[in-house]
Amino acid sequence: MESALISVLLVFLLGAASAAVFFDSILNSIISLGVFGALMAAVFVVYQAPDVAMAQAVVGAGLITSFFVVTLSKTSAGAKSEPE
Amino acid sequence: MKKAVALVLMLLLGACLLSALSGIPQAEYRLLHGEAPARIVQHGMDDTGAVNLVTGVLFDYRSFDTLGESTVIFTAVAGIMMLFLPGQVPLAGKGLSSMAKRSVDLLLPFVLIVGLYVISHGHISPGGGFQGGTIWATLTILMCIVYGTQFESQFIEYDAKKTLESAAAVALLLVGAVALFAGYPFLSNLAAGFPGGTPGQLVSAGHIPWLNAAVGMKVAAGLSLIFFSMVKKKSGEG
Repeated sequence: MESALISVLLVFLLGAASAAVFFDSILNSIISLGVFGALMAAVFVVYQAPDVAMAQAVVGAGLITSFFVVTLSKTSAGAKSEPE
Repeated sequence: MKKAVALVLMLLLGACLLSALSGIPQAEYRLLHGEAPARIVQHGMDDTGAVNLVTGVLFDYRSFDTLGESTVIFTAVAGIMMLFLPGQVPLAGKGLSSMAKRSVDLLLPFVLIVGLYVISHGHISPGGGFQGGTIWATLTILMCIVYGTQFESQFIEYDAKKTLESAAAVALLLVGAVALFAGYPFLSNLAAGFPGGTPGQLVSAGHIPWLNAAVGMKVAAGLSLIFFSMVKKKSGEG
């Protein structure tokens, strides 16, 4: 049961990581990175590391995503795609 | 072309990691071996009073490391605040639609309480100052995005966050210094006479809840300051 769950999660992790690298739009990459963080938190929970999982969920999926989105909107790459 | 290079690099890195993985002794790495892990698992609860051994290690055995980590956050906040020059005023954003505002209204108190729970129960259940503080920081980020920075800065003043962060850093050091006055090494816990209480109860584990509270305040204020410094603009701009 556990190994099946882990296999599925790892496949999705690989997919999210590849998506983050290969997407053309930086915004898409950032969102994939957030998905990667959330999946990583799930992996940590399955491996019985709830402390790390909590930090990963909050930092990896929440903070990093918002910081990156703000940085993107402040730089030229963001200014092109979403004019203010 | 770029993607082909990225693919080759990724595969190369993956091959390196796989070959490193095969070097780990498979039968043993799941077991706790060596003196320190065995000692922590057997005596950790008596030594620290914390049921959650991870927090016990972070805030008792290796509390000096934790002090260093919070100094890293302090330095990062100071650097970012210097980089995004002072004298900028909050960007008067209108925020999102009223539907988003009402939904977040419902959500905010619960997020606040979850953060408080994670910080205050750090020595009993998974979590601790860092996780809870980050939850609180995401709360202010949510407010910045949904209500606009103007509203957020009125609700929680910029200077208050700065004071809170510095105060939490001082509190962290003071809790550590209590042990010095009792004649024990810096940041000692139960040995220095902090009441241990019954492990598993909310008021227990000596100075661990105090350190958790200080770290939580510090991380929440610090990360919130970082985000706020990044989103605000010069008064002339935009």
